[in-house]
Amino acid sequence: MNLMYVLVSLVPAAFVLGWWASRQIGARRSGAEVSELSSDYFRGLNYLLNEEQDKAIEVFLKLAEYNRDTVETHLALGNLFRRRGEVDRAIRLHQHLVSRPGLSDAMKTVALLELGEDYMRAGLLDRAEALFSDLVAMDAHAPSALRHLIAIYQHERDWHKAIEHARRLEVMTGEDETPMIAQFYCELADRARQHGARAEARDYLSLAFECQPDCVRAFMLTGRLQAEDSHHEEAVVAYEAAINADIAFTPEILPPLLDSYARSRQMSRAESFLSDMLGRYHGVSPVLALTRLYRQRDGERAAIDFLTAQLRQRPSVRGLMALIDATMDKIEGEARDNFLILRDLTRKLIEGQAMYRCSRCGFGAKAHHWQCPSCKNWSTIRPIHGVASE
Amino acid sequence: MRLPAIIVLVIFIAAGVVLGALNADMVGYDLAFFRVQLPKGAALLVALVVGWLLGGITAWLGVSSSRRQRLRAGKKPPVKP
Repeated sequence: MNLMYVLVSLVPAAFVLGWWASRQIGARRSGAEVSELSSDYFRGLNYLLNEEQDKAIEVFLKLAEYNRDTVETHLALGNLFRRRGEVDRAIRLHQHLVSRPGLSDAMKTVALLELGEDYMRAGLLDRAEALFSDLVAMDAHAPSALRHLIAIYQHERDWHKAIEHARRLEVMTGEDETPMIAQFYCELADRARQHGARAEARDYLSLAFECQPDCVRAFMLTGRLQAEDSHHEEAVVAYEAAINADIAFTPEILPPLLDSYARSRQMSRAESFLSDMLGRYHGVSPVLALTRLYRQRDGERAAIDFLTAQLRQRPSVRGLMALIDATMDKIEGEARDNFLILRDLTRKLIEGQAMYRCSRCGFGAKAHHWQCPSCKNWSTIRPIHGVASE
Repeated sequence: MRLPAIIVLVIFIAAGVVLGALNADMVGYDLAFFRVQLPKGAALLVALVVGWLLGGITAWLGVSSSRRQRLRAGKKPPVKP
């Protein structure tokens, strides 16, 4: 009977020991799995941060093989392929994800969005457009899809559809898209102007002003339309309004404005406007314009004196070149040869410089663009202010 | 680390053999439907093994069910960005 008691008390003691041993083994095994997964994940992340995308892809591929259910890993891989320019691999991966059975609706729409971006990158705009339109219709990631659709329509220069979708985006997100819509109307106005449809161009410009009352481009296009119709006084008003709306665009606006002043015989108005600008604008363009004006009215000496005085306050290579040009006629012999060399050098110095820069992405350009060719933002390219440029 | 474990194992085996030899006399158990005759040492070993296995199986079932629950929770659709 005593032995029976011993045996009965041994069973629970052994039970507790077995339970404890099993928990220990289980914890050790799952810990090993988790640490292996997380070490791979962090290794991949480390490669990504070090811009070593090849190695990151290898690690993430291994992770995706290890756990075929990890949709996020597949999405990250697809993104990496696209960023590396391996668009065909990204497309295959995202197509495989979309067709995977049992994938939740939310993940499927994310994969569709990614696939659309792959198509865009590959230049298959029609397929991308169909995908994004479907996503908008399904109301799944609609703001992102609408932004992509707007980018597609901008690329195709289908400004009407771009406007329609930008308005939908505005309603959906509550963000102000009117500056971008004003640019689309300006594109339409410019196209109409080039085709000779002047009334249509004016209608588009008034729509642009409705969207953005201080739209510089719309003012400039209005000035151009008026000047082409020989309404130079109205052109002057429009160009002056453009400068007042955004003084940074002065180098773009001044040449046609000066032409309109001359054609409408308003040189005194030109002088007062330019003199007023000297206080507000620190570039060299109004100085050069006033120098030309003084040369025509008061002679070479007065123009050189004005230019020299202004260059002391705002040194500029363009101003120096104007000064060399102005003094060239007065010198002869070896000094003239030296001045010619100096003029060539300053010209080369200016030619190599980017005159405009995008305030968003830093893209440098020699000519002005309303839409940045690099980041595709509107009205972000502005003249560079410095000794070698404006 | 492995050598001490082997030494402990050998000690326990030796103790088991010695205890088995010292308690070789048979004991009878009436399990209602049938009766069994076992050496005392074997009865001790059976009690230990049965208790150990029951404890191990219980712990394993508990861990695997909680892992299944966690996996199910992780597969929930993510919130829309």
